[in-house]
Amino acid sequence: VYQVFESVAKKYDVMNDSMTLGIHRVWKDILVHKMNPTPGTVLLDVAGGTGDIAFRFINYVRSVRERQLQRKLKNHQSLSWQEIFESYQKDKFNSLGDSQVVVCDINREMLKVGKQKAQHLGYSEGLSWVLGNAEELPFDDDKFDVYTIAFGIRNVTRIDMALQEAYRVLKPGGRFLCLEFSHVSNPVLSRLYDLYSFQVIPVLGEVIAGDWKSYQYLVESIRQFPPQEELKAMIEDAGFFKVDYENLNFGIVAIHSGFKL
Amino acid sequence: MRCQHCPPLRALQASATLSGASDEHQKEPLTPPSQQQLQSHPAGHQPEQEPQGPRPSYTGQGGQESEDYESEEQLQHRILTAALEFVPQHGWTAEAIAEGAKTLGLSVAAAGMFHSDGSELILHFVSECNAKLTELLEQEQKLVQLGEAEKKPTDEFLRDAVEARLRMLIPYIEKWPQALSVLLLPRNIPSSLSLLTSMIDDIWHYAGDQSTDFNWYTRRAVLTGIYNTTELVMLQDSSPDFEDTWRFLENRVADAMNMSNAASQVQSTGEAVVQGLMGAAVTVSN
Repeated sequence: VYQVFESVAKKYDVMNDSMTLGIHRVWKDILVHKMNPTPGTVLLDVAGGTGDIAFRFINYVRSVRERQLQRKLKNHQSLSWQEIFESYQKDKFNSLGDSQVVVCDINREMLKVGKQKAQHLGYSEGLSWVLGNAEELPFDDDKFDVYTIAFGIRNVTRIDMALQEAYRVLKPGGRFLCLEFSHVSNPVLSRLYDLYSFQVIPVLGEVIAGDWKSYQYLVESIRQFPPQEELKAMIEDAGFFKVDYENLNFGIVAIHSGFKL
Repeated sequence: MRCQHCPPLRALQASATLSGASDEHQKEPLTPPSQQQLQSHPAGHQPEQEPQGPRPSYTGQGGQESEDYESEEQLQHRILTAALEFVPQHGWTAEAIAEGAKTLGLSVAAAGMFHSDGSELILHFVSECNAKLTELLEQEQKLVQLGEAEKKPTDEFLRDAVEARLRMLIPYIEKWPQALSVLLLPRNIPSSLSLLTSMIDDIWHYAGDQSTDFNWYTRRAVLTGIYNTTELVMLQDSSPDFEDTWRFLENRVADAMNMSNAASQVQSTGEAVVQGLMGAAVTVSN
């Protein structure tokens, strides 16, 4: 797995866009929307190398925070100018409202690309980058509000261990969210999808990233991945409650959600 | 919730995927146990084993067995109740629910269990208010039965019941219009409608079936109309302690009573006419 991603790291984003025709952005947006984070949330994004989820999270929290501050100011109409100014100052330096993201990935190259992207796009505060293995996270128990793994869990050798680790590092009440390719039940769509996957994607891989094999591996790993209900059962086994999944695009992609209660 | 490894708790889960789950959930994670976990089981399946106690429960108890477990529903209720405190500040939103979860020692992410538009919070609030009203009316009825209080005439009873119920909105009155609009969403209408009708039925039940002039549906409709219009008036009312609203309520109830009197007059007039006709018929036949 490590070597696949080493060669893939630099072209990762470009390949994502071309393979999914840009829809992966929408999927990731939907994931963060479903999370609906409030300011003060601490997120752990596992296998999130190039930072897509992390950046979206920061944007979302920032805009919620802005709205909060506006509302506060509206309610402050009876205060003196001095007091308003002071409270504004205090809040200005807290534009994220103490929210944080820790991006964890097994692959140094992916993290490097992510850090560069962050710098390039101007994300500075609230972000950390940690090298780590999803099956054995370098974090203490009960630390995070939300754990996300977007398109990463199928690359984990022992999914049950990753799920248990997720359970461990989440605070009570915390949420597990998993965005992953899943099974299409509709037979017509399924045929088209298979055609696209096996004929088009490896070709794109060769043309854009010069790597047929890695993308062949990718497509095969998607087919081997457990379907929605099975993954749901595995998540429940790890101890999560209110486990549910939402199919996007008829099951090409699914978001699974569970709570540590 | 602390006892998530207890088989009885498993049965409470809504999801039906219990196949094999009863064995699986006993597996201990292989990571080094933290200070919070006192025991460490070998990583085999131990279906009959005691559930591992030591997860610190947010009730403060050191992870005892079955005594302090609650169902998901009870937990959700607790979170929503705790969230009400934050509604005046944040509105009926996921943020209020997040703050509520925080006060219970849970992560703010627990708010993700509920819809992001606050529907569940509002419905929870409405059903709690209705329950409080029922209790109030029940107690009043007991006092009357014990002879410690007078039975109120219908119009006064209705007025007091509606006023008591509407007063429960006062702490949240600023954000209540938002709540009303959410209750009117198509998704929520079945629930909000059923809550409303059961509340109205309750009030009539405790008012006692004194007047038989109305039929059941009319009574329900009239009181629902009174309640809804008074609620709307209350939202616009800026008088001290909402006295304008209560005066409006008094007038509406009086109107309703007059209507019933008029109806009964019509009925008794009708009866009198029939009597007269019958008498005339008898006379004629003689």
